[in-house]
Amino acid sequence: MSRCLAVFLGLFAYGAMAAEPVGTPVSFLACPIARDTGPEVDLCFFTEHDGKRYALTNPPDFGSPQLKHRVLVEGRIKDGPTACGATVLEGRVSVMTELDASCNTVVPFDNVIKGVAGGVFNSGSPQQRAYAQDLAQRAAQDPVLSLEPAILDPPATPKAAPPFLVRNLLVIYPFDSDRGPGPDMLKLKDLVDYALTAKAKRVEVIGYRADSRLSDGTELSERGTLAKDRAQKVAEIIAALGYNKKLVNVRWEDGAIPGKGDEDWRNRKVEVTVTP
Amino acid sequence: MNASDQKATPNLPTQRRLRWLRLPQSRQRLPRSSRALAACVALVTLGLPHVASTAESSYAADPAWWQPGDSRVMPARAEYDDASGRVAVLNAGGAFSTKGHAFFTAIGSNGRACVTCHQPSDGMGLSVDTVRRRWEETQGKDPLFAAIDGSNCPSLPQADRASHSLLLDRGLIRVYLPWPPRAAGAPPLQPEFSIEVVSDPTGCNTDPVYGLHSSTPSISVFRRPRPVANLKYLLELPHGVPPSDFLFYNDKSLMPRNPETGGFVTLQLMSDGRDLTPKLQARDAAGMHLQAQGPVTVAQLEQIETFEKQVYMAQSTDHVGQDLSGPGNPPGLGPEALEKGAPARLGNNPINRIFGSFTMWEKGGADAQTDTQRTFRESVARGADVFYLRRFIINDVGKYNDKGLGNPFKRSCGSGCHNTLLMGMDLAPGYMDLGLNNLPWATPRPDLPLFKVVCDAAAVPQSYLGRVIYTHDPGRALITGKCQDVGASMTQQSRGLAARAPYFMNGSAANLRELVDFYDRRFNIGYTETEKQDLVNFLSVL
Repeated sequence: MSRCLAVFLGLFAYGAMAAEPVGTPVSFLACPIARDTGPEVDLCFFTEHDGKRYALTNPPDFGSPQLKHRVLVEGRIKDGPTACGATVLEGRVSVMTELDASCNTVVPFDNVIKGVAGGVFNSGSPQQRAYAQDLAQRAAQDPVLSLEPAILDPPATPKAAPPFLVRNLLVIYPFDSDRGPGPDMLKLKDLVDYALTAKAKRVEVIGYRADSRLSDGTELSERGTLAKDRAQKVAEIIAALGYNKKLVNVRWEDGAIPGKGDEDWRNRKVEVTVTP
Repeated sequence: MNASDQKATPNLPTQRRLRWLRLPQSRQRLPRSSRALAACVALVTLGLPHVASTAESSYAADPAWWQPGDSRVMPARAEYDDASGRVAVLNAGGAFSTKGHAFFTAIGSNGRACVTCHQPSDGMGLSVDTVRRRWEETQGKDPLFAAIDGSNCPSLPQADRASHSLLLDRGLIRVYLPWPPRAAGAPPLQPEFSIEVVSDPTGCNTDPVYGLHSSTPSISVFRRPRPVANLKYLLELPHGVPPSDFLFYNDKSLMPRNPETGGFVTLQLMSDGRDLTPKLQARDAAGMHLQAQGPVTVAQLEQIETFEKQVYMAQSTDHVGQDLSGPGNPPGLGPEALEKGAPARLGNNPINRIFGSFTMWEKGGADAQTDTQRTFRESVARGADVFYLRRFIINDVGKYNDKGLGNPFKRSCGSGCHNTLLMGMDLAPGYMDLGLNNLPWATPRPDLPLFKVVCDAAAVPQSYLGRVIYTHDPGRALITGKCQDVGASMTQQSRGLAARAPYFMNGSAANLRELVDFYDRRFNIGYTETEKQDLVNFLSVL
């Protein structure tokens, strides 16, 4: 009984907090909290800060939160439905490098906040989905077909055709990390293909690092070599994929871009420019 | 019937001493006279000194131990007794004489060949039962027990059984790697950590000649030989693993290149990824394990690689479940499925279910002849479901939870780490610290050395253990020098398991039940007793 009361009071307390207006920037460090959302689906993450709950979401492969590590949350309050039982932010969540054993809470499945299974065949191209659907039907009749690869290779990107114009790519990185998200790395691969097809005169790579100003005024800095690390890693990939290394101009900014407390995540980046 | 009673384990040593003639499944129902004829043909073929590629040569009797330098026929297909039935080895290039063949010939100075640790009768690996039997048969004189790595340390008295305890008890071979890390012909790396020996039961890491502070500083770790079979699945770049086939999933750095061809290569071949191709592995092994004094010739390397690429291996028969492959049985069983299969594909989807469908055994299978057989097959089908569907929370796995997936996250065995179609290793190129080597997760191993690793303050720490790590084997970090890699290793294939116990890279699971128990404990899964036995039965038929 007392447990139910505590839960109710807790929910009431959160509900009673005045909601911040949509678009309000927030930036803070906190422990992520994992929530079990059902036996057949993955967990989700949220966090608590100043009496409010925020969902911890990211674009694909930007990096999910990790218990035993704090997260840096930088975003603006977003309109729309909640996720993981919490307010959604438009921004980025970065996993801090250092261990923090105090971040170790998993909320058990409450049968209220339920996850939705992604389904491996819900992504991919229309051709890939159609093939998988057809194969599923045929494999139900002939089990031997259960060994046929169900996921076709994605179709090759069409070869670029003239006119060849300047193309750019912006890769955004998590705080203190040189791990580029998978979708951006695929775009980088396509951009190198473009540079090769267009016989580009040069490719310019510029790396940056950026501070984060938290809502309480604290400044966080990335490690000093990160602008260089990010730029060189991208340049190495470009050269390894066949573009003439001598035509790759790699630069990085020595200083960190100062934090403003609003969308600082946008400044942790590498800019790539292909000039035909 | 209690689930744990469903499968009787035969008296293994007696079974292994038998030298049965094995007929292919399609021939096992031939009249007795026909079987006798086939057997005679097989015996005659055995005596042939040269390549014999006829089908009849494929089913010759095979003594369990393949001695380097023997003049034998490597058949196109053979089956060998193992712990739960028989493992089949398919030599897709056809039968040939092993006389003078580099894989079967002692090309070093200690009398060993590749085949010494990659025995066809052990699914191209090496079981600890075989090791023990060989010790008894030769009183420890077999080259398998060579001082350099078949003993706990070369400086120990080699006639004593205790000096070979890790090989005899756990099937472990000593792997000695330079410290600081240094690739062949390259200058040493500057590692991100220092390492000290906390305990040294073998004496080798503190040995004045072989140890960490010797004139050639080395770290000795002890690892199981991986099976040399089904290599096409290990060598093809992964399909369907984002972002592409040339980048590590973990950190999006570039995959290494094959120095011979210039193409990108996977790192699936070895637990620590130190050798990138079969040829490089063979060259390295010739020096380290065979004690070759000079370079292995190009022709020898070609011959070894060609053979290794044409060998497929899987369990083919179960004592209780009987024939595993063929019409009406799960299509992914038996080595023929591996020969035909598409390599390097993700199987963690509702169609592929990693090893294909087992639905035909959900009610015992149409041709089940006894209740025992039916019960066993039903258990295997349930085990396939547990493997593929039963999700659990996976947490604190270094180089896995931290590669963007989240800590924790929830997967099953099959939808998580063991996702490669038909093979069951992780298709995403990368390494992980499952908890086999690093404390506190590792099974207590007072027989193994224990190291203390202290990472530099500037290094990115191991994600869940930080900068001070106690480990029995630093794993990949002995190659890269990176703190994050301490204790990490590459997952390995799940085929032919019954033929090559013990399991895990340090042999910490003596049998499949201990393997399942490790996962159950490590991830607090809470498998029921029936689920555990179903998983064991499922794994035993792969």
